[in-house]
Amino acid sequence: MKSEVAHRHITAQAIDPLFTEKVKKMRGGENILDCIQCGVCAGSCHARFAMDYSPMQIIKMVQLGMRQPVLESSTIWICASCYSCATRCPRGIDIPALMSGLKNIAMANNVPCAIETKPKFHKTFVEILRKYGRMHEPQLQMKLINKTNPKELFRNASLGLRLWRKGKIKLQPPKLENSASIATIFENTLKNEEE
Amino acid sequence: MSCKAVNTVLGIELIEIPDWNCCGSIDAVYAYNPLLSIALSTRNLSLAENMKMDIVTLCSACYFTLSRANKVLREDASLKGKIDKVINDAGLKYAGEVKVRHYLDVLANDVGFDKISQYVKLPLKGLKVAPYYGCLLVRPPKISNFDDPEHPTSMDNLITALGAQSVNYPDKTKCCGASLAITDESVMLEMTKSLLLDAKDLEADCIVMPCPMCHFNLDAKQKDIESHFNIKIDLPILYITQLIGLAFELDPKELGLHRNVVSPKRLLNRLKNA
Repeated sequence: MKSEVAHRHITAQAIDPLFTEKVKKMRGGENILDCIQCGVCAGSCHARFAMDYSPMQIIKMVQLGMRQPVLESSTIWICASCYSCATRCPRGIDIPALMSGLKNIAMANNVPCAIETKPKFHKTFVEILRKYGRMHEPQLQMKLINKTNPKELFRNASLGLRLWRKGKIKLQPPKLENSASIATIFENTLKNEEE
Repeated sequence: MSCKAVNTVLGIELIEIPDWNCCGSIDAVYAYNPLLSIALSTRNLSLAENMKMDIVTLCSACYFTLSRANKVLREDASLKGKIDKVINDAGLKYAGEVKVRHYLDVLANDVGFDKISQYVKLPLKGLKVAPYYGCLLVRPPKISNFDDPEHPTSMDNLITALGAQSVNYPDKTKCCGASLAITDESVMLEMTKSLLLDAKDLEADCIVMPCPMCHFNLDAKQKDIESHFNIKIDLPILYITQLIGLAFELDPKELGLHRNVVSPKRLLNRLKNA
């Protein structure tokens, strides 16, 4: 009996049908069951070379309820939202929105990501906007780079200097006049999400 | 900077939205909290609505992000209700009257390339230009519909109107890697490298493009691509209005060309001696 279970590729224990239902409720996931596995997304993706699963495979895995491997995949983090795939998808699936939604679930559940910078990027981006209402690139970069790696530190310092010399970044953080309205927006939306 | 200079010639007046905030980018905020992303975009839309004006962006990513907010607010009544509540609390309201457009769309469809060509003082004869549209300027078609999503031609026509030659660039809508520059640099370097090398292959003198995000990857990171792959590229990357300004014979300083990381000096000398 045991061997019969072992030779099946996907065991029932690894399947979570509720995951599929959850994804169907997100933007980009509404029509995920319409996917016919034609592969046009996989063939159109310019970042496919860096992904472990193609977008087509991710969609199939979501259909099957393979929660863990989907949320642990590099694919959802590599997608740059360029919309090549969604422009061509014959079933009208908003694949980049789906990838964003999967990232959202991964972050909300603290699913470990092979590249630590990935979830940290989103968190830091939001923190900086909450503080200033606009982006302050030097802070974003400084918070994300691995400061214990001298080579990385040096390369980023040289990029920063290059941009600063050309007047493309300012050391002074930005400031909005009506920062109270930004604070309210953050407070209300982040609260809403918890409900 | 170059846009302001070109606008003076063309008689276009753009008014900066007072106290605008970051739109939250395509995915940076959206993946963290979609509601927050839409609310941040809506704040900008609301400020523009107060001015009774449409929004013109110089960035493909802002163009997409603000348009997406408009689209989901139109299509999803329950989300619209939530957003209304959030922004009302912040002392704002948004009725949904604002159109979001990219500057290239305005040039192509409101001003017209015929009119632009009338202002050309220095036709860019002999200059081979690769038009890089990137991702979100012309797609997805549900959001951007002023040009063809697979084979756009507006920038090609602009280049021709300026007297230059537009090269038949197969990478025109490929992705540069966008924010992977920060989160997964080696992937972005690989993606942008192929765009640059293909333009070199076609003997382009420069790439012209419509987005500051792509500009960062193609221009500011070009040195990193050169050192990472141990290759020489040295290809100037011009924002659309920088190229237009050159054909209008505006001062390169006024066009901010000295602020490009890859020096366009050789290109400028060639134009001077042509």
